[in-house]
Amino acid sequence: MSDWSKVTRPIPVPNEWTKPFWDAAKRESLELQRCQSCGFFQHPPFATCVQCVSVDLKFEPVRGKGTIYAYTIMYHTGDKRFASAVPYASIVVELDDAPGALMAGNLLGSQYTEAKVGRRVEVIFEKLNDDITLPQFRLAGE
Amino acid sequence: MWDNRCKIAVSGVGYSKATRSADIPLAAHALEAVRGAVADSGLRMEDIDGLATYPELPATGHAEVDGISIVSVNCMMAMLKLPSLTWHIQVGTTNIGGAVQQATNALLAGVCKYAVVWRAMHNPRGTYQNLPGNMAAGASQFTGPYGFGGPGQGMAVAYTRWLEKNGQTRDKMATLAVTQRKHTQHNPHAYFYGTELTREDYFASRMVAYPFCLFDCDIPVQGAVAIVLTTADRARDLKPTPAYLAGYGQRLHFETAGRIGSLSSYMEGGSSSAKLTWERSGFTPKDVDVAQIYDGFSASVIYGLESYGFCKEGEALDFIQDGRIELDGELPLNTFGGSLGTGRIHGLWHIIEGALQASGRAGSRQVKDVNVSFVGASAPIVTGTTFIFVKEPY
Repeated sequence: MSDWSKVTRPIPVPNEWTKPFWDAAKRESLELQRCQSCGFFQHPPFATCVQCVSVDLKFEPVRGKGTIYAYTIMYHTGDKRFASAVPYASIVVELDDAPGALMAGNLLGSQYTEAKVGRRVEVIFEKLNDDITLPQFRLAGE
Repeated sequence: MWDNRCKIAVSGVGYSKATRSADIPLAAHALEAVRGAVADSGLRMEDIDGLATYPELPATGHAEVDGISIVSVNCMMAMLKLPSLTWHIQVGTTNIGGAVQQATNALLAGVCKYAVVWRAMHNPRGTYQNLPGNMAAGASQFTGPYGFGGPGQGMAVAYTRWLEKNGQTRDKMATLAVTQRKHTQHNPHAYFYGTELTREDYFASRMVAYPFCLFDCDIPVQGAVAIVLTTADRARDLKPTPAYLAGYGQRLHFETAGRIGSLSSYMEGGSSSAKLTWERSGFTPKDVDVAQIYDGFSASVIYGLESYGFCKEGEALDFIQDGRIELDGELPLNTFGGSLGTGRIHGLWHIIEGALQASGRAGSRQVKDVNVSFVGASAPIVTGTTFIFVKEPY
């Protein structure tokens, strides 16, 4: 299994678009930007709704269940911060509640070989420091 | 069809030496390529009155120093002090293909007569993709913390999606890498000229970001290439046989920053650009005699072949088998070796080869009886542009 214990992850820097996402993650809740006109969930946050161009956007909670949309297994150790975890799975997840909104993550708690397109995953939270908690994913039981 | 079909042509082309490390400033490479293209046209520098480029350094975490790690239009103007200069531009959204299209538009508008377009690429010391510092700001806040380090991984995620959705395996990609390396042996300007690649080499090579092994990635180099564009009537009076531009297009779709892995976005980018190109030129994929499709990472060729309409979605890795992309195949592909063979100079070399094949100037790698020559000059979603060059300007 990938050894994440020695990895120093770059710390996300929230901005005016993304702060509500990180505030929610700190409470171990997943909230995505939702269009108040057409109801579409999108991620990453953007200035306008990518479906209907409305500017009326709010963050709303979503359940943390979804499927692996795509993934890659990283072998290259160019970024020394991640070298100890190599090989590791970086995945892209499509949440059940937010089709079309793609979230990046790592597959934690399993061998990297378990990453496959279509596998069920659920969100878990990895605290990086007092300000930032990172949404992550593990295989779901169902 | 486009009113300006075949009114602009590519004339001369030029190259610098492609080296692995930056032994001389990048500006010297750019100068060598530009002078080469002007000389190949039979022109003098005093004749050049238009300049265009896309100067980006695609490596992250490295300083952009004009003349050393990029070569901007300003840098080229300062070096050349062209007495006849009347027009210049530097593009941002569509990589070097956009600079070629802007030069085309300027020639059509009559604001210059002979435009030079160059692409110069630096290979920085140390790690190519390196998120600087301990923080992930902007779009990288949603990717950097998870070890998504650069475009390799960004491209790899869409590739696993494609493979597993279509029940395919990466083994079939060996055909692309090996065939393109074979083509490279006919291109003395290429970085891998003189270095062969076997299927065994491909399968034995180290994995970089699965499904990409080393030979699915173009090698970073220091080098430059350039072309001269002019109006068709002027091109006919110059030394080389012209390659007439029958049509072009650019991607009309873009992804919100930080959203990665969407296969449908790649397809929309490519198909929107190709649709414009087919409509403007009046050709269809079936009319194409030879194709150059951007291959910074091998999977870009899949997205290109499918989104441009050469084969159906999910079929590209089968399409490239059985000799179809060989020089004497049904669709000779990346006949100059592609970026996998030449080294990473982005898409201008694809445009050069498209033009050379149309004008019958491709030497020992010349495909027989070419009239319609297609180019997909960048990864379809990122900065995609497409072109068709023809031999016969009808």
